[in-house]
Amino acid sequence: MLGRWVVAFAFFLHSSTVYRRVKNSTYNLLENSNYPYKKYFDFMMILLIFLSVYILIRQVKHEMSLSWLFFNNYIISLIFFIEYLLRLWIYSDSTKVVIDQYEHDLFLHRPFSLGKSLKTIVKHKLEFVFSASAMVDLLAVMPFFHEFRLLRVFILFRVLKLFRYAKSLRRLISILSSKKFELLTLALFAMIIIIVSSVLIYVMEANNPASKINTLFDAVYWSVVTIFTVGYGDFVPVTHEGRVVAMVIIVSGIAVISFATSIIVSAFTEKLDEIKEEKLIDDVSKLERFYLICGYSSLTHEVIHRLKKIFKHIVILEKDPLKAKEAQSEGFIVLNADPSSLYTYHTTQIQFEEQVIAVILLEDSDVANIYTALTIRELNKKIPLYSILHHHENRKKLSLAGIDEMVNPHLLVGLMSRRISHQPIAFDVIHELRLGHGGTVIEEIVLDSGMSKRFFELLLHPLFHQRLSMLGIYQNRTQTFAFNPDPSYEILAGDVAIVVANKALCSEFRDHLHGKKIK
Amino acid sequence: MIARSAAVFGFNEYSQQIARHVRNIYQDFALFVMTKEEEKAAFEAGFLVELVDLSDDWSRIEEHFDVKSLIVFCALSNDSENVFLTISLRAQFAQLNIVALAQDNESATKMKSAGANKVLPSLEIAANVISDMLEKPIVTKVLHDVLYQDGLLNIIEIEVPRYSTFVGRHLHDIHFKSEYDVILLAIVDHEMGTTFSFASKGHNHHIDPHDVFVVIGYQDKLEALKLAVKRHHA
Repeated sequence: MLGRWVVAFAFFLHSSTVYRRVKNSTYNLLENSNYPYKKYFDFMMILLIFLSVYILIRQVKHEMSLSWLFFNNYIISLIFFIEYLLRLWIYSDSTKVVIDQYEHDLFLHRPFSLGKSLKTIVKHKLEFVFSASAMVDLLAVMPFFHEFRLLRVFILFRVLKLFRYAKSLRRLISILSSKKFELLTLALFAMIIIIVSSVLIYVMEANNPASKINTLFDAVYWSVVTIFTVGYGDFVPVTHEGRVVAMVIIVSGIAVISFATSIIVSAFTEKLDEIKEEKLIDDVSKLERFYLICGYSSLTHEVIHRLKKIFKHIVILEKDPLKAKEAQSEGFIVLNADPSSLYTYHTTQIQFEEQVIAVILLEDSDVANIYTALTIRELNKKIPLYSILHHHENRKKLSLAGIDEMVNPHLLVGLMSRRISHQPIAFDVIHELRLGHGGTVIEEIVLDSGMSKRFFELLLHPLFHQRLSMLGIYQNRTQTFAFNPDPSYEILAGDVAIVVANKALCSEFRDHLHGKKIK
Repeated sequence: MIARSAAVFGFNEYSQQIARHVRNIYQDFALFVMTKEEEKAAFEAGFLVELVDLSDDWSRIEEHFDVKSLIVFCALSNDSENVFLTISLRAQFAQLNIVALAQDNESATKMKSAGANKVLPSLEIAANVISDMLEKPIVTKVLHDVLYQDGLLNIIEIEVPRYSTFVGRHLHDIHFKSEYDVILLAIVDHEMGTTFSFASKGHNHHIDPHDVFVVIGYQDKLEALKLAVKRHHA
């Protein structure tokens, strides 16, 4: 009977959208570093930790008000305890365990085994309880029992909780844990030396009235202070034998420190690339809007060189480590990852909808660009996709892969050659306008409905007449270009005027069009 | 002098595109290749080619073309060989109009030094178009149509003849937009040299014989302006 109730309740919770939503939100808040509100939660917890430590320190020499003590002992502890319980809750899905067991037993025509389910649930929960971070969490709740004075020291476990909320601290732990074996071996070595030297110094010095080392604790204290090269000097060996032990332990101490340093340094060196990559991914996830370029080559370099003038955030995805390194040395933001792999976008946490303005495919072959385009289209159907087209015959294939615009350098050179052949000056004029080197530029000015009168009047104003040429208006709705339209032309919202003028004059024209008065 | 013949050197994707786009606008056209493999590949692609090498024997060019009205496209795959070809041609023919293709900016500078009249840096061209498409998509589309598509809108150069009715007038006296429905983009002042200045600079330029107008407009309007410019004083 109880088993049936448990199964029914598990099914009820499993199908409840409210329960799922609450559990998901709790998980996101506590564990998902991409969740936008997690940083606020982490910040609040860090604040509580510092407040606790501050109250502990202040309490040593000053009287604290009761309300502060109440806040520290009860409120903060309670918050930490609730957090602990929530973490315990989200650690595993108990309803799923019950349902799985029920379905398993049903399939084999056996009665539902509640005991087995409970055993699995408890096993999962104990995994959490005995994990290092959960134990720190639990110990951090201890100051709640403030009546036991010794338990107040547990407040320092709250400081250890910082590891949960600060990513860089977590990273430090992961780096050190990669050298766990080496560090443990070294610790064992140091421990053996301390034990041996403590016993030796005790035997040599304890019975000498001139020596301050009288107990085994004094001997251990002296050994620790000496082996770690601190040497306070409050305890010194006075016998020749004791001094020999001191010399041995000093030399060993230097070896221990050197080994420890080298182990930690090598751990950092080995993880340096990984750390950099993680940091880079973090930085990219914080960028608001950027262009994403897939593939690094000389063309990518040239494109970025130009795009940087108009937009500063450009992210490159390059799978070849050597090319990625080359791009990094140029100061670009490069993620060493395969742009054609879905896994890349999962790990780099690139949000197409929110972050990417457009994707530019500049890989070495049409095959690679098509493959990447299909991957990106799988993730996002709308993002504008631009690509280099290496072979003209592949145009249709790239188009089918979802690429919106293609640039074929071979075709461009062919078209330019024809223009240069019979209209070289005209070609130079357009080329110069595009580059804008001489100060004269060709610009787009976005128009709004109801602007017609002001727009055409401004064109005739002495400031702009003869100095600003309006080539025409591109109607966005019909995607047609009206060349040299007369003042009766009706401007619609979103239409774009194309003008040729000095850059500063263009900007002035834009300002006046949007209401600035002409002096 | 207006070129009447064209020659393209090299056989690769670039030279094929150049050949396809220019061969119909010249009376004489030839494609020169450097190796037997290129010759075979060109033949298979439907091109009639002639095999030459980079030695100093250019008699074939002199026999086939009037060098003064010839435009040469140096489009070898290897930039260093292309520079060598350019400098060889320049050494032999001082008047020759040479357009050279360069893969990158570094080679483009060398091509210029080697004597090319015009250099097409392929990398820079592609990069410019990509960044233009992102920065000014509409301008890029319109200009691409004007320059490269055979649409109604076009950009042309009109040289002012010696006895044209335009000679002696000032630029601001001619209403290109309202009277001819075209837009004057730039003008080459014959007296000042061959470089152009943009009309939007606002200079009220005095029109002299052999000045060149660079105008944009519909084909029929451009033809009408051409006729008007060619009209002589009574």
